[in-house]
Amino acid sequence: MFEKILIANRGEIVVRIIATCREMGIKTVAVYSDADRSALHVLEADEAVYLGPSAPAESYLNMDKIIAAAKQTGAQAIHPGYGFLAENYLFVQRCKDDGIVFIGPPAQAVRDLGDKTVARQTMINSGVPVIPGMMQAEADPDVLMKEAELIGYPVLIKAAAGGGGKGMRIVHSAGDLREATESASREAKSAFGNGAIYLEKYLHQPRHVEFQILADAHGNVIHLLERECSIQRRHQKIIEETPSTALTPKLREEMGKAAVAAARASNYVNAGTVEFLVDHDGKFYFLEVNTRLQVEHPITEMITGIDLVRQQIEIAAGNPLKFSQADIVGRGHAMECRIYAEDPLSAFLPSPGKIHFLNEPKGPGIRNDSGVYSGYTVPMEYDPILSKLITHAESRQECINRMSRALKDYAVLGVLTPIPFLKDILSSEAFIKGETYTDFIDKHFAEWHPAMEGVDLACIAYIVDTMANHRAKNNFIQTDGESYSPWQTLGNFRP
Amino acid sequence: MDYNLKIGGQILPVEADLKDDGTLLARIGEKSFTTRYQIISEKQIHIDVEGIGMNVYLADNDDGKLINIHGTTYLVQDADTLERSGTRKRSSKELPQEITPPMPSVVECIMVAEGDVVEKGQSVIMVSAMKMEVKLQAPFKGKVLKINVAEGDKVMPGQILMDIEREEEDERKTQEEITQEKEKI
Repeated sequence: MFEKILIANRGEIVVRIIATCREMGIKTVAVYSDADRSALHVLEADEAVYLGPSAPAESYLNMDKIIAAAKQTGAQAIHPGYGFLAENYLFVQRCKDDGIVFIGPPAQAVRDLGDKTVARQTMINSGVPVIPGMMQAEADPDVLMKEAELIGYPVLIKAAAGGGGKGMRIVHSAGDLREATESASREAKSAFGNGAIYLEKYLHQPRHVEFQILADAHGNVIHLLERECSIQRRHQKIIEETPSTALTPKLREEMGKAAVAAARASNYVNAGTVEFLVDHDGKFYFLEVNTRLQVEHPITEMITGIDLVRQQIEIAAGNPLKFSQADIVGRGHAMECRIYAEDPLSAFLPSPGKIHFLNEPKGPGIRNDSGVYSGYTVPMEYDPILSKLITHAESRQECINRMSRALKDYAVLGVLTPIPFLKDILSSEAFIKGETYTDFIDKHFAEWHPAMEGVDLACIAYIVDTMANHRAKNNFIQTDGESYSPWQTLGNFRP
Repeated sequence: MDYNLKIGGQILPVEADLKDDGTLLARIGEKSFTTRYQIISEKQIHIDVEGIGMNVYLADNDDGKLINIHGTTYLVQDADTLERSGTRKRSSKELPQEITPPMPSVVECIMVAEGDVVEKGQSVIMVSAMKMEVKLQAPFKGKVLKINVAEGDKVMPGQILMDIEREEEDERKTQEEITQEKEKI
């Protein structure tokens, strides 16, 4: 087993990976940029190496600096987390060339599956159903125009190197295609360094259902059930749950088999996620394989009791899986809400800045994977994710109730979060009924406004605090550098 | 003590009376509340309103207090103080008349040069924060007089990134718009 692992990422995922490493007796190395000198992942790691300026290209995306940091600290393996270099096959190859174990799939699998068009072809060849669309990336707008006519509007523009909704656009008519392809390509270029795009048929009201898979280096491949991630905004998942309300045991078995087939077809090793769209008729289509640990992996951990990061590390160390498909049982229901720094009242624009105070929920069945703390300044340079709140309970409704309770106990002061929005989604009839399609937010929450039910209480609290402060100022005279005189501090003490 | 508190776009008149026994009587509009409280820390108080207890978390902001009730954060401001200090927030219906970012962000791309004539609604500058790009548009037809920032600069809401001189011929201004402009000056 490794003695030391470098985690080439930032924020909550690094903190989460450190937790497992520590339990396994493995030392951890964090890396950081200028903007992240006092980030939680730096404070939590055993060692931290400075990479450079805040721009990702000069820090978290800089392979030379990360490899050098691993060598300098004697780390034998690198965990890439999600995002940044996690799905960059050149980096995987680079690790191998430098004698460092990459905790993830081999370069070839990352490369094949990372190119969404190659991935589609691989799936077609192995009998996994795919969405109708282009077989290769295209830059010429005239060719794209013809392809869109062939597929039929509405079409979905996707980045060939994509993920996380970056570079994705829905286009309803030919008139909008040109501008949309240009902006999608530019966004893809800035996010992945690759502006290649392709078109796919846009399905109406599908659900997003993905399967977690684990594959060891000895040919064992299993799946760890599904996660439904249909609640999305701007193609970003915001609430995920497992099990999916849309899957019958039969459909679950079929999709699980397809996910395992997809992994085998691409010679996959380590943890991965096979994403599908499921339509109203229970037909499912391959979307893509995410060749990394997913943001929403904790819900799978909650219902299966399996630590996915531990499995990733064991597999990377060459150990065989200790369980088979028959051992995998999902117990109860788990749900995750992503807590972003964003303003739910101003079109969810980013809200970086200082967190004046943070109160994190606790209690039975609650897990909070966080990358922030009271007093921390959330930088504007990176992803807006602050934390992921996860709940686990016996049934779906109990899990919803638990999540609602936990969100009410989650106080973030200073940066704005979607917590009020999430609370309202969880208590909405459509969500409770499980009518979760990818257009859920547009359909039910496009005109959302907060209930403002706490207005009176907030006014009372304002007055209490104002009066208390007023009193405190009269009572406590600040005497910088001097010891406090009891006559000053106890001035207005009333027995 | 009487307050006019601004919260969520409305102004509420609040009468507060602190009794000798530590009970606070608050009248908000037509409603009355009997409250007991404990100061737990600088950022936490516990209030008991009509017999129901709860934790409230709060922090002072530049122009008010951030107050968290059941997971939702409210900005509560003293409307009288706001009026005195002359802070005036634009209503959301009004179009922004200045080139200023909606969020703390980095200038990604300046799409015009000084001296250019821009059309109303034309994108003039692009900023980004947390991987989200936002294009700022010219609020009216006019000439770019001065660009106050460079690509790569960090900018804040309220900061004027570019000065655009409104073109004279924009004559179909309503009397109301003219009045609003005067107010600003």
